[in-house]
Amino acid sequence: MPYFGSEETVKELKRALSNPNVHADRLRYKNYISKVIRYMTQGLDVSALFMDMVKASATVDIAQKKLVYLYMCTYASDKPDLALLAINTLRKDCADPNPMVRGLALRNMCNFRMPGMTEYIEQPIVAGLRDKASYVRRVAVLGCAKMHSLQPNTDIGRAKYSVYLNYYTLRDPSLCVLNCFRLNTGLMSDFVFSCVFSFRMKDLDSWAQSEVLTFLLRYRPRSDDQLFDILSLLDSFLQSAHAHVTVATLRLFLQLASAHPAVQADALLRTSAPLLATCGAASRELRFAGLCHVQQVMRSQPGLFGTHYKRFFCGYSEPTYIKFRKMEILVELVNDENVSLVLEELRSYCTDVSPELAQAAIAAIGRIARTYSEKCLDILTGLLALKQDHITSAVIQTFRDLVWFCPQSTAAVCQTVEACVDSPQDSEGKQALLWLLGEHGDQISSAPYVMEGYIDGLKTELSSAVKMELLTASVKMFLCRPAETQDMLGRLLHYCIEEESDVCVRDRALLCYRLLQRGVEETRKVVTGPKSDPSMSVLTGRQEEPISQWTATFNTLGPLSGRDLCPQTAVISAADQPSSSAEKELLPDDTDEEISLSLGSPLSHETFEKMWLDLEILHRQTLGSPRPRTAPDTLQAALQLVKIQTLAFTPGDTVPWKAYIYTRSTGTLILAELLQGDQQAPGSDESLVVSVKQQPVNQHAIRGFVSILKSVLQTLNVDSS
Amino acid sequence: MSASAVFVLDLKGKVLICRNYKGDVDMSEIDHFFSLLMLQEEEGLVCPVMSHGNVHFLWIKHSNLYLVATTNKNSNASLVYAFLYKLVEVFTEYFKELEEESIQDNFVVVYELLDELMDFGFPQTTDSKILQEYITQKGNKLEVAKTKVPTTVTNAVSWRSEGIKYKKNEVFIDVIESINVLVCVCVCLQVNANGSVMSSDIVGSIKLKTMLSGMPELRLGLNDRMLFALTGRDKGKSVAMEDVKFHQCVRLSRFESDRTISFIPPDGESELMSYRINTHVKPLIWIESVIEKFSHSRVEIMVKAKGQFKKQSVANNVEIHVPVPSDADSPKFKTSTGHAKYVPEKNLVVWSIKSFPGGKELLMRAHFGLPSVENHELEGRPPITVRFEIPYFTVSGIQVRYMKIIEKSGYQALPWVRYITQSGDYQLRTNS
Repeated sequence: MPYFGSEETVKELKRALSNPNVHADRLRYKNYISKVIRYMTQGLDVSALFMDMVKASATVDIAQKKLVYLYMCTYASDKPDLALLAINTLRKDCADPNPMVRGLALRNMCNFRMPGMTEYIEQPIVAGLRDKASYVRRVAVLGCAKMHSLQPNTDIGRAKYSVYLNYYTLRDPSLCVLNCFRLNTGLMSDFVFSCVFSFRMKDLDSWAQSEVLTFLLRYRPRSDDQLFDILSLLDSFLQSAHAHVTVATLRLFLQLASAHPAVQADALLRTSAPLLATCGAASRELRFAGLCHVQQVMRSQPGLFGTHYKRFFCGYSEPTYIKFRKMEILVELVNDENVSLVLEELRSYCTDVSPELAQAAIAAIGRIARTYSEKCLDILTGLLALKQDHITSAVIQTFRDLVWFCPQSTAAVCQTVEACVDSPQDSEGKQALLWLLGEHGDQISSAPYVMEGYIDGLKTELSSAVKMELLTASVKMFLCRPAETQDMLGRLLHYCIEEESDVCVRDRALLCYRLLQRGVEETRKVVTGPKSDPSMSVLTGRQEEPISQWTATFNTLGPLSGRDLCPQTAVISAADQPSSSAEKELLPDDTDEEISLSLGSPLSHETFEKMWLDLEILHRQTLGSPRPRTAPDTLQAALQLVKIQTLAFTPGDTVPWKAYIYTRSTGTLILAELLQGDQQAPGSDESLVVSVKQQPVNQHAIRGFVSILKSVLQTLNVDSS
Repeated sequence: MSASAVFVLDLKGKVLICRNYKGDVDMSEIDHFFSLLMLQEEEGLVCPVMSHGNVHFLWIKHSNLYLVATTNKNSNASLVYAFLYKLVEVFTEYFKELEEESIQDNFVVVYELLDELMDFGFPQTTDSKILQEYITQKGNKLEVAKTKVPTTVTNAVSWRSEGIKYKKNEVFIDVIESINVLVCVCVCLQVNANGSVMSSDIVGSIKLKTMLSGMPELRLGLNDRMLFALTGRDKGKSVAMEDVKFHQCVRLSRFESDRTISFIPPDGESELMSYRINTHVKPLIWIESVIEKFSHSRVEIMVKAKGQFKKQSVANNVEIHVPVPSDADSPKFKTSTGHAKYVPEKNLVVWSIKSFPGGKELLMRAHFGLPSVENHELEGRPPITVRFEIPYFTVSGIQVRYMKIIEKSGYQALPWVRYITQSGDYQLRTNS
């Protein structure tokens, strides 16, 4: 319905929405509004109703408000001029006495996603950050994040400080602080870290725990002691009830403790049980994710799950993607004790209804055969007797790979191939068989006759790949058994050169022909290569990779989208770097200018005084804002939060007001004096003057220090006014 | 950093409802989802993660709906899946059944919920009990906005509201253990010609239904082996639990230090803890089956079920599902107890027994005709599955020793305990 006569529908709705009678009946009005939303959901363009919908937002019914806001967010970017009109309504709602309405309005205003919006939104966000309802504060913090993604260079940084200070003074409940984590800045990681300590992570919901853990990945502990403090604090999360928390914790442990292999190994050992439990989770997708994680862990610790191999037996009703992963894991887990049971299990999958699964199971047996060839060959030979086309083909392909990788099984394979009566029907199977015949024709007595069958049936063969393989194989065969092959090779070449329409096949035939013209010895030199890959011959066990190889992609999409299914893994790994794209989107552009301050060991008054007298003033600047009217300890706390230590300040309202502060940054010590002159005295400025002394000199650090100091004071002033 | 947008699609890939959270992925990208899915289905290589360009789709299927999250970040996959399942859970609590019709009928509420569940790609309040306090389903009723945000949204104890009152204070504790068994009845195995237990484990959970006033403090005592070892008494009747997981309300630090389970419970029904016991369990109901297939004429099935549990106990609602060939017809049954039914759409014989006493051996015979023209399609060999429920009994022997309830007002409250053992994934393979 919506696609036909859509204009009529919109007109009708417009008429209804502007009808005063409808306005009078609130229920009817609301029904019309839901109708608009329904059409919007169905994909009909109802943006023409924008003005009428904005009017509808003036209501006491919160559900109706939500619908209208949703509508506005959807069409705001199409109608920026009209959306600006809606802003006023929203800003009014931001001052509503009901916190639900305030939060709702603020959230949706931030969802508008149009560049010109920021100037209108900033004020409500800042107000929201200081709202007394934590619901609104929570929305406001996320609002900051949204604004950042919209316009990375807005001056929301100021608001950010305000959030932190707010936290500091008000001791916000967890949700508000949590969203601060999400806002995350590089500068604040020390602060965040202390939050984790002061906050019991346990009080957060599982989503938030996961976020915080991901966020902590970026934290670099200053010392080993601190590292172990963090790890012991987070220890219990390794066994969390939620799979996503467990893996997030594990990843954090592995990355933070990259210099302590023993800690890593211990963490892996203890997460093995929860990981296994995830592999048996009720939902298939989580189970799949669990299996992928197990696979990653096994890259470094192949033995970790050895005793639990039965957990990876496939259930009958599991989807194929899970079964594939389980088989891959089983192949890795095989050892002397469980090999017979695992092979028995894999054998039962070979007769599965799904040909893909059956072929994968056969390939898995083939992989095991590289170590336990005898048992596997028995099974594979047994499978040939089933005379199923797809099974035969898969077995022959497995044979081909097996012979290449472990030449000692050649004799047994040749015997089996010789005994095998029916031939594969699909082109991959045919190619594999032809390769085997050509390569090991001397050991398969019936080889020329089988090949003759193919040459006779050449006219009906469709696949050019098979034809090319046939050409190569025949030439090889001719070299080892010329008497039996000469005649049919001639026929084959004649057909391929004279009658074949496929250029590739014809060229290959011509190549063979010319090669043979050069003489048998020449041909032999060119055609016969090594019969197996000697570097692969001893495969006793897989190399254990270092853990750091995969931690970067652990607990991300990377391991889930397998190589075959997702050709753009490169994109993933590029997007994955934990500190790159995800972080940058929220970080302000001037991060590289920001310097990190630290407190270091405290200075005594005497040392400070001595240094202050010894050093010269390197930098003097008016800060452009007066002394904050807050209590002295708030100022002190605020400064400490950005790692500036206050040494002394003059009490209360004495004039001139002075404060001495110091901090350390990248190897230099910064000392500073804040001075506010007599306000009443003529000519003196109201704003603070900062004088900086430093040892050793580093102008970059001074600039950073002054900008941080400035923003703190500004925020405090905004807060106290 | 999880999802950029969330979509709900019907089986034909049409978008029923969607919500854009971050705006960094074009909403029209979803058009590629269904064609990708179809392509993978054709190749038989369906995968719960799909990519198109640099957009990734993470999807789950629920009844006749696809729930899809899109992202262009390399996000935390298990978190996204957990969130999608949470969506299903919340919607199901609201609409009883989550399917195409319920989404279409309640799209206003769905929008409201999507708005509250996630913001800017971060999951927010996802507890359906708390959501129900401020998003109600009375879609057609006008209501003046509540002036209060539920305290639980911002509470220190986020799982329980303050000021709950009950006339009669009670707690119901259900100890439920499900048994997962995989038995292979293949003769080819050297281990045991009659069948061997390939894998078995017990998954237990303790569920609570709390009807208590105020903010009570509860303490639960179990016959936990670790606890007994700590306190120095070892009566032998203790249970070693592995992989213990608790509801968020349990104070983990206390459990870690002295194995006490103490908590402020959520109101109403909740799962307090779950555990896994990885021991060799004797299958409680043992099945022996003989399936003889005479091509072109008939199939004879004989199933013997034996209750391998205490004589005093009784298994209730036992259902034994025996697979039969898809082209079987004209069923005939003979059972010693209970009755058998042919379910042609699932190619099963369901033998149901209302009550099955321990130690008994029951028998069922079935006879099917087969068409003279043979079915050429390959058929899988599904396992025999068994469902049952044994009340007043736990396989592991776990017991609730005490439940202490302490509340400021000092009321008396009664704990009621119930034990049930039931079948989980209980399969017996029938390879010839």
